[in-house]
Formats: sequence, structure tokens, C-alpha cells
Amino acid sequence: MISITNLQASIEGKSILNGINLEIKPGEVHAIMGPNGAGKSTLSSVLAGRSDYDITGGNVTFLGKNLLELSPEDRAREGLFLAFQYPVEIPGVSSTNFLKTAINEKRKYHGLEPMEATDFLKFMRSKMEEMEMDKSLTSRSLNEGFSGGEKKRNEVFQMAMLEPKFCIMDETDSGLDIDALRLVSAGVNKLRNSERSFLVITHYQRLLDYIVPDFVHVLYKGRIVKSGDASLAKELEVKGYDWIKQEVEAAV
Amino acid sequence: MTFLEQIKSDFNLYTAQASDDHFSRLRKEAFAAFEQLGIPTTQLEEWKYSNLRSVQQGNFTTSCVSNLDADSLIKAGVLNTIESNKLVFVNGCLFPELSVWLETDERIKICSLAQARKDFSSIFDAHFGKYINFSKDGLLALNTALMSDGAFVFVPEGAALKHPLMITNITDANEHALFQQPRNLIIIEKNASASIIENYMAVGAYTSFTNVVNEIFVGENASLEHYKVQRAAGNTYHTNYTQLHQLANTNINQVTLTLDGQWVRNNLHFFMNGENCNSLLYGLYIPDGKQFVDNHSRVDHAKPNCFSDEKYKGILKDEATAVFNGKIVVHEDAQKTNAYQRNQNILLSNTATINTKPQLEIFADDVKCTHGATIGQLDEEPMFYLRSRGISEQEARRLLLNAFADDIAEKIKIPELVAILESEIERKL
Repeated sequence: MISITNLQASIEGKSILNGINLEIKPGEVHAIMGPNGAGKSTLSSVLAGRSDYDITGGNVTFLGKNLLELSPEDRAREGLFLAFQYPVEIPGVSSTNFLKTAINEKRKYHGLEPMEATDFLKFMRSKMEEMEMDKSLTSRSLNEGFSGGEKKRNEVFQMAMLEPKFCIMDETDSGLDIDALRLVSAGVNKLRNSERSFLVITHYQRLLDYIVPDFVHVLYKGRIVKSGDASLAKELEVKGYDWIKQEVEAAV
Repeated sequence: MTFLEQIKSDFNLYTAQASDDHFSRLRKEAFAAFEQLGIPTTQLEEWKYSNLRSVQQGNFTTSCVSNLDADSLIKAGVLNTIESNKLVFVNGCLFPELSVWLETDERIKICSLAQARKDFSSIFDAHFGKYINFSKDGLLALNTALMSDGAFVFVPEGAALKHPLMITNITDANEHALFQQPRNLIIIEKNASASIIENYMAVGAYTSFTNVVNEIFVGENASLEHYKVQRAAGNTYHTNYTQLHQLANTNINQVTLTLDGQWVRNNLHFFMNGENCNSLLYGLYIPDGKQFVDNHSRVDHAKPNCFSDEKYKGILKDEATAVFNGKIVVHEDAQKTNAYQRNQNILLSNTATINTKPQLEIFADDVKCTHGATIGQLDEEPMFYLRSRGISEQEARRLLLNAFADDIAEKIKIPELVAILESEIERKL
């Protein structure tokens, strides 16, 4: 699915990612954990194509293509999806119009005709039922006045609509209470299948109780310093990050 | 002959044939005021950014003669699909063949101002010149002294216009440079209501200077929708003074859309002379090229318990310049005033300029007022968010700018007009 080799990135001359290596196969769920400032959000931003970062080394292959050469919109059209940590409120742009535009731009990219309006509405209705979305959310302006939980659920709903191949969840649990966290996770779990891969970025283990990963990686100072299975997350919950920091410092 | 000499000579021609009545005395008084005040210059604080020097040096004709016929006017889009009463003026004179009349209530009077002065002189005299103050404004004085024709609208007590009235003014500068001064008088009596669209268009390559004055009276419990659409493209200079005088319990929704025109100055003045008034003022301007657009507004809260909400938005491209100057004055008596004012601008180029000045003057002590202005570029976060969903940069920009503009367009309560304007906004963006 995606292969990240020795990825290095900096912002305003300050190095944030110092050689990330990660291989994700179809259907796998990988979690990235790490203390604040480890570079977790930078990794998701760089993969999605945010222009604030300079790529200083390494490469990323996504479904056989050089991901780093693609524009953010082309990455999305190829099947990458970033669920934002802070979804943006866009007054005046209706959720429906936004999703229709996004789907049809993707179809155009793949040489397909735009979806008929009635087909689109049917498709949207079925996805809303599947994801248990409240109708009122899609009739409003995109994310405008949504609560934190509604915004995150809307991210997962967009994911269901756009049917990506690879989803990055950037601190999806931040700012969610336990009920909202359950709803959002249930949505994500519905979208898990043997073809679709996930990269779940989180500071806390609790999200991983609901979205159980196949692999857990610890990011520290811009490198993956430890990898394991879901039990690594439990260990971090109990012991915190300090022991890993000490291990890394000792190795240096 | 300079412009000022020409004005003087035109006025002498007028006085030579005028009878001595209230109307002509008012015009003489206005001309005396104009001679004192002249055309405003950038020396005046309120005209600091708005330079009319090239108009002063212009060589204009004031004749409304035009070779345009009804067919070519219809082709130019004068009569559109909006089901409305219509009055069409070309170079300041009524073009009667294109008038459309849909109302059945015969108490409602809509005609040219010249006609109204003859046929409805008592109503005319009771209102004309009563709400504006030309002693401090050279262009108001000039219009009063030497007006062209314009629309007269009288909606008597308890009556309602069933359809909107569209007043279209066409500048035909195909043959020569033109100076015209449309003057509209709109009277909405107690418990009456109306919806009025002012529509400006232009053809021809010569320079034109259009100096409009609207006097609008809104009686107790009456309501008015008033829309101004500026699409007079070309080498046009346009100044507009709209004075609204409202009594108690009135509702006014006013929207000003400035799309085309080389140089446009809108002055909007609400005077709330009664309690429990609702005044909404919205505006959108999308200048590009070297266009200049100035929106000046003043809202007087003279009595208690009134509400006003003002929002003006601008999208500026290329080397365009815009001015926003909004003043809310809360008089000493006007307790429990609620007044809001916002001006928001998006600059799409490094060479576009906006000068914005929101102002509050409060003389009462129990009021709620806010004002503010923003100037910025298209935000990067929403752009990235849309692009991250597969939407191209160009399409994302289009969605965001349309959303910014639609916020104003949707204040218009005539769906057909909103649809026309949305496509015009699309054209400008």
C-alpha cells in the first residue's frame, strides 16, 4: 500500500522527521504513538501534502507512485485520506455540494463521468444510514457550528463517501468524550476491510481500545524507535514514554 | 467650456423658463449651495480616497438623446426574467415603451418624477427634498438643482406592491460623453410595503458621470426591500446618495451589489426617526482591473429601541481599490440601541488596495454596539482542507469565494434576482 523510506522533513530550518521507515500492507492498521513534539502530526501533514514542510530526504511510494511529487488533491484522488485533528469550518459551502464536488473531481481524475445528481443523493443517503449520520449535519454548511464530536464523525462520514484506500487518522481522539470516541471508532471499524489500510496517530492508548491496531510504533525525535503489536500500546499506557526516552538516550 | 461653466449655463437656461414655485425656489437654493460647495475634492475628509478630478475636467453633454431602440435594449438584458413592474430610463429620461405594469391596486402610483410633479403635486411637494440635506454636500445640491428625471413611487397607507419594481437606468455613451442626474422619490406610507430594485447598466465607450439621489420615506409599520445592482461597465463614474427616512416600527432590508463600473461611490444614509426600527444594510463589491469602489454609510439611531445590522464584504482583484467608511451615530435619546457593523475583505492580488474605517459615535449610555473590519487573503486552512478531499486548487478557490459572496447575495429575498446575481458573481470571480 504505502512504503515510507528514510523520510526526513523540516520546517523553517528545524528538522522534525529524521528518517522514518514504515511499510503498510493492504488491510493493516498501524498506530503511531509518541510524546508531544515527536513529529506525529508532521508525519500526517507531510503524507497529505501540506506545503509548510520541506522534504529534506527519503521517499514515499503509494500504490506504486511517488507520493511526494503529487499535489494534495491528486494524493486524495489516488486514495489517500487524512482525517484532520482540527476539521475546518467552512461557512457557506454546503456539505452536500462539497462531497459531490470531491467525488466528481476524483471520478474525473480516473476518467469517469460525473455522478448523476439523483445517484449521488441515493449514494449519500445509503452512506448516512450505514454510518448512522444525522441528516441535519449534511444539510448544514461544512462543519459550521459542529461540536468536536460531530466534526470527527463528519470526517469519518467523508471517509465512507470518498472510499479511500489508505486513511490517516490524526489524533482523532483529541477533544472527544468517551461517548463520542465510541461512536467515531465504531464508524472507523465499519470501514475496516482487507483492502483498506489505516495509520492511526494518537498520544493516548484509549483510542486503540476501540480501534485495535495490528502494529504499534513509537515515534520519538522524528524516528520510529520501537515497534510491536497492540500490547505495546498497553505497556505505554502503564509506563508512560519515559522508559523509551531513556532507552533511546542510552543507545546514543 | 469647463464642466462648472457648463453647469452654470445649464442652470441659467433652467431659471430662464422656470415658474416661481416651491420646486424652483428649492432648486435655486440648492444651486446656491452647490456654488459654495462645488464638486467634492480629496481635501475633504469624507472624500480623501475618492478623486473626481477627471470628472471636473470632463466635457459632457446632458441631453438624453440616444439611438438605442427597444429591441437593442431588450437584447442588452434590460428586461430580464424577474416578474416585476419596470421603469426604464435611458440617459436620465424615461423610455416609456419598456415600462411594465403589473399592479391592480389603483391607489399605488408609479411614474416618472416629472409626471408626478404634474399629476400628484401635493404628495410630491409634501416629500420632495424633505429628507436630504444638501447644504453640506455638493453632489446632493447639484442633483437637486439640475436633476434629470427619475422614478416616483407612492405606496399609500395599507397598500402593498404585489411585485417588485425594477428601476433600470441605462447609460448610452455611444455618441458622446454624458452627464446625468437621476432622481428617485419613493414614499411608502404607514402599514404599506414594497420591494424595489435599482439596476444600473451602460453601453458605449465615452466617459459618463451619473449622479443619483434617492429620497426614500418609510412611514410607521411599513416595510421596504431595497436592492441596488451596479453593472454599468465601461468608462463610468457613478455617485449615488440614498437617504432613507424611517418612522417607528419600520423594517428595511437594503442590499448594495457593486460589480461593474470604473468608479463608483455609494452613500447610504439611514435615519431612524422612530422607535423599534429594524434596519439591515448589506453590501458586496467585487472590483477588478483598475476599478474603484467606495461605500460610505451612515446610520443614525435617533430614537430608542432600534436595531441595525450592517455587513459589507469585498473581494478585490488586480489593481482594484475599494473604500469602506461606515458610521453609526447613536443619539442621546436612543437608549437600548442594538447596532452591529462589519466590513470583511479578501484581497486576491498584491496590487489591490482597501481603505476601511468602521466608526461608532455613541451619545447614549445604555446601548449594545459592535464594529470591526478584516482584511486578508483566502485562508490557507480551508483551501488545504478542500484540496485534501480531492478538490482542485481552482475549484476550492471558487467554492470559498462563492461562499463568501453568497452570504450577502442571499440577503436578497427575490429568488430570480439571487440566481441572476450568483451567475454575475461567478463571472466576476
